[in-house]
Amino acid sequence: MDDQVVMHLEEVSKTYIMGEVTVEALKATTMEILAGELLVILGPSGSGKSTLLNLIGGIDLPSNGQMFFQSQSLSDGGDKVLTNFRREEVGFVFQFYNLIPDLTAAENVALAAELVADPLPVDEVLQDVGLWERRDHFPSQLSGGEQQRVAIARAVVKNPRLLLCDEPTGALDNETGKLILRLLADICEKRGSTVIIVTHNTVIGAMADRVARMSSGQVVEIIKNEHPLPAERIEW
Amino acid sequence: MSVLSRKLLRTISYTRGQFVALVVVVMLGVLIYISMNTAYYNLERSQQQFYSDYRFADYFFHVVKAPESVIARIESIPGVVKATGRIQQDVVLLKDNNERATARLTGYPLPMESEVNQLHLMSGRMFDQDSSHSAEVLVDPQYAAANQLVSGQAIQIIADGKKADLLVNGTATSPEFVYPMRDASTMFPEPHRFAIIMLSQRNIQQILGMPGQINQVVVDLAPGVDETAIKSQVEEILKPYGNIASYARKDQISHAYLDVELEGLRINSRFLPLLFFLIAAGIQMVILTRMIRSHRMSIGVLKALGYNNAQIMWHYTSYALLVSLVGAVFGTIAGMGMASAMSNLYAQFFNLPQTIGGLNIQVVLWGFVISGLVGIASGLFASRSVLRITPAEAMRPEPPVSGRRIALEGLPFIWKRLGSSWRMSLRSILRNRSRFAITVLGVMSSVVLLVFASFTNDAVDYLLSQSFKQVNHYDYIVRFTAPVKYSGTIDWSRWESVQKQEPILEIPVKIHAHGRTEDELLTGINPAGRLKQVYDINSRQIQIPDEGILLSSPVANKLGLKTGEVVRVETAMGSGASRTRELKIAAIYDPMMGASYISYDTANHLLGESQVITAVMLKMDAPEVPAVEARLQEMPKVSSVMSPAREQESFLQLLDTMLYFILVMIMFAGLLGLAIVYNTATMAFQERRRELASLRVMGYSNTEVARLLSQETWIQAVVGIALGLPAGKLMGAVYMSSVSTDLFSFPAIIYPRTYFIAALASIIFVWIGQQLAVRRVKNIDMVEALKNRD
Repeated sequence: MDDQVVMHLEEVSKTYIMGEVTVEALKATTMEILAGELLVILGPSGSGKSTLLNLIGGIDLPSNGQMFFQSQSLSDGGDKVLTNFRREEVGFVFQFYNLIPDLTAAENVALAAELVADPLPVDEVLQDVGLWERRDHFPSQLSGGEQQRVAIARAVVKNPRLLLCDEPTGALDNETGKLILRLLADICEKRGSTVIIVTHNTVIGAMADRVARMSSGQVVEIIKNEHPLPAERIEW
Repeated sequence: MSVLSRKLLRTISYTRGQFVALVVVVMLGVLIYISMNTAYYNLERSQQQFYSDYRFADYFFHVVKAPESVIARIESIPGVVKATGRIQQDVVLLKDNNERATARLTGYPLPMESEVNQLHLMSGRMFDQDSSHSAEVLVDPQYAAANQLVSGQAIQIIADGKKADLLVNGTATSPEFVYPMRDASTMFPEPHRFAIIMLSQRNIQQILGMPGQINQVVVDLAPGVDETAIKSQVEEILKPYGNIASYARKDQISHAYLDVELEGLRINSRFLPLLFFLIAAGIQMVILTRMIRSHRMSIGVLKALGYNNAQIMWHYTSYALLVSLVGAVFGTIAGMGMASAMSNLYAQFFNLPQTIGGLNIQVVLWGFVISGLVGIASGLFASRSVLRITPAEAMRPEPPVSGRRIALEGLPFIWKRLGSSWRMSLRSILRNRSRFAITVLGVMSSVVLLVFASFTNDAVDYLLSQSFKQVNHYDYIVRFTAPVKYSGTIDWSRWESVQKQEPILEIPVKIHAHGRTEDELLTGINPAGRLKQVYDINSRQIQIPDEGILLSSPVANKLGLKTGEVVRVETAMGSGASRTRELKIAAIYDPMMGASYISYDTANHLLGESQVITAVMLKMDAPEVPAVEARLQEMPKVSSVMSPAREQESFLQLLDTMLYFILVMIMFAGLLGLAIVYNTATMAFQERRRELASLRVMGYSNTEVARLLSQETWIQAVVGIALGLPAGKLMGAVYMSSVSTDLFSFPAIIYPRTYFIAALASIIFVWIGQQLAVRRVKNIDMVEALKNRD
């Protein structure tokens, strides 16, 4: 793994105004995200980790500070720049999958594939996540783990450089959760994508190349993990 | 205010766009209900009032000439309450500009108090019994207005071969002149060319040289008597005097026209509001059902707290009820405004003495009751799903909606070609069946209204073009006061500018068959002639037989006649002895307006004459040639010179007033379509917020997401439009057949242009409603929408 920087955050902060209260969800943060790494952002709820992920993924804009994807500024760009960034470079996986109920597994994946000029073949990606046999099922006919695998396939099919996962195992049982983590680690390895997992589950940190620990809206420390564990050996 | 009521107001404020759209639909329903019903009841009431106050005749009898003494004999028939004898005759009216008009002189025995068909003075003063030199007369208000006649002005007529001066005293109307029409063959009133002139019986007798004589008897019958039996007895008495025609009130021309209008209004006042109320009910149900689904959790909490089903159901029903009440209030206000606009228009069209405005409290009350019931019914129906919610279950998030396959997937060659977004839209539409149904129904109704609004215009326009382009190919029709020899006119074709001339002989007859008798006008024209051709209601050209009658179907039906039968035809000209001949029914056809035809030779044979005419048709070099017209106007026996081109112009002016109503209807139709589309598109948007947010996260742009939502609306709109166009045509046909009478039947003609305009207009309205709903796409908060489930 080389240490090429894909993303650079410079004094990035986020403040929400909720009625008469101002909430500082993310205090000024400077960090770099490296190409091909598996970064796990750890922290209890309310620590600002989802806010950080949303900023990285371009679904939210920082209140202050600068963000660069490679050399392109994201914080200065408007909605069009962010939309393009998400379209070309980012795959998102959510805790509650957020699949389109009116589309089958394969069609959900195809919907994302239609967005980019050079997507991965839908069937191949479905095979990778082990859902090729169930490709014609609707979300309501799939288990939680299966739905999450479809969601991962949907995120991966665009062949994005960033795969962002917000509590991807949060709604799943242990065994299924491990399967999903294995899949994410494989993608990181096989495709060379940067995978960022946000979780409150500290043990997941064991599989990361780097772990960013957050608390009260701040990145407290970033630890480099010289010996990441394979996902199946993580126990919680 | 209870907490629940406060919650209700808050819900309304959150969904204010939808609330307003719902209110608009109810408002339009109430508006149309109140305005049309008010106009209907007002018009009907003033008709009834006028008829009874001024003693409108139940039966009309025309004779050649009878002594006044027959009245006493007719009055002695049991069942006849009152009979009035009078003279009515069409004479030539010489206008200042040398044109001629037809004046229908009508005499009134004085004092008028107890007579049948009395006069109502509208301006000026009543005429005297005798006047020293020129007779005092009253004129119908339409003619007076069109020709700028004022009291004290003199007018000149040609009667009994002599010119006579009449002094205009003012204007008046009578139940038989509410809609002043010459006869059933003229489509519209001709205020420039047709006048009703009312004067004392003695004066008219003097002018026409008929002292002590009458030529009409109008009778008032006791309620519930056998009209036909009395008719036969009266006809028996009148037989020696040349009974020309007898007809009941329902066949009286003014009454028949007014009835067509009333019937149309009655149908519209029932049907149109129903359409709006049905749609309002449907869309409220869909909205409330969705609202209850999304409030599932709160409903669970309310139940856990101890609120019972009835309280919660009432909470949601009161939303619908509030929509109804607000809609009814605005609808009533606007409806009263529109009712008075309609009444004003009717006042221009119809000569009715009472002002026909006025508020009808009963109609307003019904407007509130109906819209209230619509609200309560749809509210209760939608909120019945509250019953199924148990508190424990409601606190858990609802399972994801189940996508399902649709029938179209059975057609792989189509389905395979569709992209994911099309599949998504199609499945989503078919999953939400009730929403699909109400959207399609809404757009469809909007299109039906658009077609319906314009189609009366098409039908009238079609009638005009039929009459002016297909039927009548002449430039002038010159009518004579009595039959004349054709040879006397034969040199006209040598006049400059006259290309061609053809004779007409019109004979009013009584057709006797199967023991029944019907009055009919037989128009005799040359079967090989070019200047007048006969078309049926379906625009098929009908050949006039050389022998026998081409009979109109209403008369054929009344007499139970079939082609090939032989009938007895008795002439009923205004003068001379009647003649009877046997004629064969050569053919029966469905006319648009009026008459039956025979050949010119048959007509002469029927009269026992040869080469006599009642009118001449002239084909000119140009549509109007003033020099020829002036020359014709000066000929003593000419009663009128009519130019179709000029007539058409005045008809088109009349159509302009219809345009106002068409515009209003188009506006209503548009608002309806817009409100429905806005509501259902908003619902679709809200339900799919999360989905749309995930699409945005995936990298779909606002425009792409909006297009996706629009796609869904357009699929439904296209179905609605496709169904709406034929439904509009069907509705037009049903409407036309219900307002058609024996005297007039209207074709349900809709021009392709009208379909095109209706489709285009609905596309515009759908687009606006759609834009209003999808403009929120740009406000989708991705972070908020994806954070957690509900």
